[in-house]
Amino acid sequence: MTPLTYDVVVIGGGMAGFTSALYLTGQGYKVAIISKGDPVCCLSTGCIDVLSSDKNPLDGIPGLSRDHPYHLVGKKGITDALNFFKRIMQDTPIPYSGTPRKNRTILTPIGTAKTTCLVPMTMAGSETESDTYIHVISFKGLKDFFPSYITSGRRNIRFSLYDAGTSSTIGIATLFEDKSFRREFISWIQNLELPHGKVAFPAVLGIRNPLKILTEISDQIGREIFEIPTLPPSIPGLRLFRTLKSSFIKSGGDNYWGKVIASVESQGDQIEAVTLKSPGRPSRVPGKAFILSTGSFVSGGLYATRNTVKETVFDLPVFVPGTRKDWFKEDFFQAGHAIETAGIKVDSSFRPVNTRFGNLFVSGSILSHAEIMKNHCGHGLAIATGFRAAKICEEFLS
Amino acid sequence: MSFEHCVRCTVCVENCPVFKVEPLFPGPKQAGPDAQRFRLDGEKSVDQWVRLCSQCKRCEVSCPNDVEVSEIILNAQLKYSREHLSPFSSHLFANTYYISGLGSLAAPVFNRVSSWGISKGVMSLLGIATSLPFPSFRFLTLQRGWKRRGRGARKVVFFHGCFLNFNRPDIGRGIRDLLASLGVQVIIPKQSCCGLPALGNGDLDMARKYAQQNAATLARYIDKGHDVVYACTSCGLTLVRDYPGVLDITLGEKISENTYNVHEYLLSLIENGYTELAPAQVNMTIAYHIPCHLRALGIGYPAARILERIPGLTCHLMEDNCCGLSGSYGFKKKNQGISRKLGQLASSAIREREVEAIVSDCGACRMQLSHYTGLPAFDPSELIVESMKKP
Ligand SMILES: Cc1cc2nc3c(=O)[nH]c(=O)nc-3n(C[C@H](O)[C@H](O)[C@H](O)COP(=O)(O)OP(=O)(O)OC[C@H]3O[C@@H](n4cnc5c(N)ncnc54)[C@H](O)[C@@H]3O)c2cc1C
Ligand code: SF4
Ligand code: SF4
Repeated sequence: MTPLTYDVVVIGGGMAGFTSALYLTGQGYKVAIISKGDPVCCLSTGCIDVLSSDKNPLDGIPGLSRDHPYHLVGKKGITDALNFFKRIMQDTPIPYSGTPRKNRTILTPIGTAKTTCLVPMTMAGSETESDTYIHVISFKGLKDFFPSYITSGRRNIRFSLYDAGTSSTIGIATLFEDKSFRREFISWIQNLELPHGKVAFPAVLGIRNPLKILTEISDQIGREIFEIPTLPPSIPGLRLFRTLKSSFIKSGGDNYWGKVIASVESQGDQIEAVTLKSPGRPSRVPGKAFILSTGSFVSGGLYATRNTVKETVFDLPVFVPGTRKDWFKEDFFQAGHAIETAGIKVDSSFRPVNTRFGNLFVSGSILSHAEIMKNHCGHGLAIATGFRAAKICEEFLS
Repeated sequence: MSFEHCVRCTVCVENCPVFKVEPLFPGPKQAGPDAQRFRLDGEKSVDQWVRLCSQCKRCEVSCPNDVEVSEIILNAQLKYSREHLSPFSSHLFANTYYISGLGSLAAPVFNRVSSWGISKGVMSLLGIATSLPFPSFRFLTLQRGWKRRGRGARKVVFFHGCFLNFNRPDIGRGIRDLLASLGVQVIIPKQSCCGLPALGNGDLDMARKYAQQNAATLARYIDKGHDVVYACTSCGLTLVRDYPGVLDITLGEKISENTYNVHEYLLSLIENGYTELAPAQVNMTIAYHIPCHLRALGIGYPAARILERIPGLTCHLMEDNCCGLSGSYGFKKKNQGISRKLGQLASSAIREREVEAIVSDCGACRMQLSHYTGLPAFDPSELIVESMKKP
């Protein structure tokens, strides 16, 4: 049985994969996403980091290493991609705030300020220098968020705890979907008689409609409020992933989730299909073009053995910085371990170098020299390269 | 992959419906790979909470590291059941096949009796939840109708499972006749329960007994050139995954390789040009609730791709919520609260969409969501059959 041939098969359902897929379904192409599991996005703050070095993230690009994938996209390309992302999110329950030309900071769960670029609207009101007082409201026993980290050593922040009867972020976020829970919670806040200033919550204000819930609470207590991301499991990350996935499904895309690629069929320089490992009969997913966005080591796009690094789907050649002894710095917590540069090197058309495949494009954190942790360019890089790879793929198809 | 591949990323935890609403359940990461390190063959299990897992498999679908989270938990559940006396309700639900058989023979009586107050009292004593209406049985089961329909080069053997046979034979007949009208030879052999209810209630032996009977029957047809098709996604997952997997049936691999979801099969007939589907207008807005076990099959959402060909039909695909019933899980008194909360969550997501009806491949999902939303619920095949009937 051969199913319909997709115009594009995207392998890897993370920020990069969904950006490509959403652009292409928007242009009328028939697209499938295959993913082994949920992406790193689910663990992230949901904020889009572009580049943290300068006030305008785009100003930092010339300072990046020569091989950084941002150079292949260029300032205009990055701006277009981020605006595309913002437009997509605009019509969803989690719109974004910010512009590609300006970095900002948000308050983190350990009380520090994190530099980022686009943020979910529920974090738009995060602490600024002009805030004289912030009251944090957290939940009794909540794991993964300790308000005393934030308040210690600061006099302008204090906190109160609400007993929600459960102690996980996902459990509390689920309770917030319930109107009667919100009613009780809001009246409890009203009785606190908080000092003047903003009110902050760990990011657990519902899963499906956080902005609506935030607005409801804000209106009723008469304060500006914002969310602070928590440690993983991260609700804002989950919201972002689920929103992208449902936007993709709504736009007519198909998804094959929870499946690993078992084999690849190719003819000359063209990949014709991939098959998915499943119990019994492997399902075959044929396509005219393929985009590989399986992420880096965390997601399993790359796999390190003792002395080499492998790409897990097509066995593409991987750039590896020297031998294992060169991979790590002495100090684990130091930024910029050489191994961060490992990945797939692509040419200006986002095709992997030194391979025979003409209909394969690569995007996202699997690209070499991205150095995401050092540069703080996680989602931004995924969106920018995913968008560019999709545009090139579109040219290829026409 | 085994528990050692877990990197503790917590992605599975974000996806577990039970963990969302039941603080006593530690979530898939802890119940699965974390606790697995401490489970020893010779030692009696103490993790009673492991039975709170509903085997929806959402954890496993989401795990980026290919850890067989729900399989680890299933094995721990089986171990726990072996070592402890199971409650009466588990024995009852393990054997839904016979109960349903009896229910169907005595359908007119059973359906009345099960709704009486006094029967509800008895059910409650036996550990059965009474807040949901018990499914009603049909005397004219699928097995009592045509067993052979249609002619053509393509041949299928239809695995209908218990629900279509005993409770909704009309849907089964619709599928049978639809396939026949598209030039497919359909055979409905005598068959047993797929085995999942027994597996879910800790009775591995009974599950294997059923599976072996089915595998022998289905394999005979496969050898004669038939493909196996199923409509119930939980039966399907059991055939495809558990027969060669946890049930370890000799012919399991063969069954697994030759078994298709009915909509996956239909779609392939259309896309291969074997047949054409020219559905008539059906003016309706529906929420298509994706059953957890369809997600777990990893075959995409084939029914959605057929439904999108029906003119006039607007379909909102909903895949983020588990309905909470999970077969017999929600019918047990101890799980009643969890099941209700999840049912309400899924229902409120559906109600936000302002739809006229719900569509889902799973009979249990339909029952639960219809109950909590007050909306009618259909099998996708019912809509497809309906759209084909019109002139
Ligand atoms: C804990 C953590 C927090 C972070 N927080 C932030 C943040 O707040 N802001 C920010 O901008 N960035 C953040 N980052 C970085 C950012 O999340 C990633 O760089 C970015 O999301 C990567 O996206 P991607 O699409 O390239 O890959 P991924 O998100 O890794 O997605 C790859 C997908 O491919 C699938 N896959 C892998 N192998 C296969 C295979 N063989 N077959 C099929 N599918 C496969 C995986 O299951 C996965 O779904 C964070 C990273 C981590 C680890
Ligand atoms: S998703 Fe997989 S790797 Fe992550 S914690 Fe769960 S089992 Fe472990
Ligand atoms: S199978 Fe479902 S209920 Fe069980 S642990 Fe996994 S996600 Fe939770």
